[in-house]
Amino acid sequence: MYDYEWDRLRTWLEQYIALDKSITSAQDITRLDLSAKSLKEIPKSIGILSKLLVLNLSNNKLSSLPESMKNLTSLKNLDIRRNNFNVLPECITHLNIGSLNASGNKLENIHLLQSCKELKVLDVSANALGKLDNFMHPDNELRTLNLSSNLIKDMSAFLLHLHHVERLNLSNNLLVKIPEEISYLQFIEEIDFSSNQIEKIDDAFFDLEVEIVNLSDNNLKELHLHSLVSLEELTLDENDFTQLSIEENFAPYLKEFSCDSCSLREFLLPQSKSLELLCYSSNSITTIPQVISRYEKLAYLDIEANSIEDLPDTLANLVYLQTFYVQGNPLCEHAKKVVEVLSPNICDLNMKSGITIELAKVKDLSQMAKLLGVLFTIEKDFTIDFEKQLAGIEALYEQEGTDLLVAKYENSVIGMITMQRLISSAEGGFVGQIEDLVVYEEYRQMGVGSRLINKIRVIAQEHGYKRIQLAADVDNSHALAFYNRRGFNKTNLSIYHYIV
Amino acid sequence: MRETQEVLEMQICECGEKNVAQAIEIFQNTSLPFKKAKKLVTGCNKSCCRVALMKLYDMKDFGRYDYDEIAYAIEQRLERLKRLSEGE
Repeated sequence: MYDYEWDRLRTWLEQYIALDKSITSAQDITRLDLSAKSLKEIPKSIGILSKLLVLNLSNNKLSSLPESMKNLTSLKNLDIRRNNFNVLPECITHLNIGSLNASGNKLENIHLLQSCKELKVLDVSANALGKLDNFMHPDNELRTLNLSSNLIKDMSAFLLHLHHVERLNLSNNLLVKIPEEISYLQFIEEIDFSSNQIEKIDDAFFDLEVEIVNLSDNNLKELHLHSLVSLEELTLDENDFTQLSIEENFAPYLKEFSCDSCSLREFLLPQSKSLELLCYSSNSITTIPQVISRYEKLAYLDIEANSIEDLPDTLANLVYLQTFYVQGNPLCEHAKKVVEVLSPNICDLNMKSGITIELAKVKDLSQMAKLLGVLFTIEKDFTIDFEKQLAGIEALYEQEGTDLLVAKYENSVIGMITMQRLISSAEGGFVGQIEDLVVYEEYRQMGVGSRLINKIRVIAQEHGYKRIQLAADVDNSHALAFYNRRGFNKTNLSIYHYIV
Repeated sequence: MRETQEVLEMQICECGEKNVAQAIEIFQNTSLPFKKAKKLVTGCNKSCCRVALMKLYDMKDFGRYDYDEIAYAIEQRLERLKRLSEGE
């Protein structure tokens, strides 16, 4: 029998290139991406998609959804972010959705959510929510809640029904206190209260078993840190403290503690021996205590822009310290010697300013050929031959569809990267083949390689390349880790050479 | 939707008087972590433009810029400031 509803819907979906050719009936559709199509309305016939699990309607101009959507009984994931909704669409009260993203609309209340008992992930950030009461059903399953960038002044009225919430983001609101009702968050693991106007924190907060807390950019003046026995990360940046103290029982497993720009005069010492990151930049600290050496696992220390003249010898005992920011202090010669002995991988004292990334010019080519020699000492498959490398680089420079970047310091080439355009039959278009990423050893650990790869990725985006790819020596563990960190995925392919 | 050039010219930080294009250039020319790289753009410790700048910084690491997302973050902040100044 001919299905008029399906025929109408299929024609409409095809118009927005939202339908795969393999789809032959409404029952085949489980996922639908209709994002960024400038849609002002959705046809009623969408209600026939009874197998639909995921619906993405983000980045359109929708202000309502058809009532027929209540028939989407399989729908679990609905994305309506960045539309023009003033109120949540009524149809959601009939659905069993587990995830709703309604951020970036103009919502002023979300009480319809009381009917959404199965909701586990909710994002209503960047709306116009002000006064909120218990907007969730008492027996809700909500685990992740994002209420950031709204106009919320008081959270006490809605915390009661958030008993299962594990991640709560209330950053960028107008909160002035953390109330007693915070104790209802029995399963909370992560809270973000940054960029509010919080002045007071109720004692109940310190009994939470939360692991990550961000209280940066608030109006905290006095804070007495204690308990919080499960806490692993605490950020207090940009609070103008007149008094900040730490009790012995505070956060025994704390790993990260950040107090940048907090008007501190004293270097505070949390008791945790698990500390890996400690930030006290842009304060008025004058002395680093000798006992800092007790943080045996410390890997990142930032004391930039304080009033520190000397550093304790014990700092050199921090054998895991890899990153150390200390510039902007009136350091004496002894302090500089301590840094030298400590020899961290990354230290702003050792960083050279004025390294530029630019397109290679003809005059750079011979320096680039010389630099390739450094690369080929690492890669066993290649031998160093300056003339060959110069000929190769010159050919690359002349070739259409190639990009050559250099890192320069005081007019000398200290790093380079090249990219050649290839056609990929798999991707159905151009891809970029990256080669020859190398930086002189004395300029490594300064982020030069990262800047080269970032710049070449932007160029690849501008060219409209479908993918960028590279080959790395399997024995070069540093290079492999570097590419992994920057989002490159290892493939199953091996490279074979045949000398013609 | 705005044209890319239009977004690049939008002011992202009033304190540092930087537009999106300038902020991208600064972020591309540093390997500092976000908190420090942000100061290169703003020249201050304030966090009024943090949301948009953080998106831009993450996009640099991700290797692809979503200019609509950046424009939206900037507009959101301006809209919020307007609402607050109107006493909402």
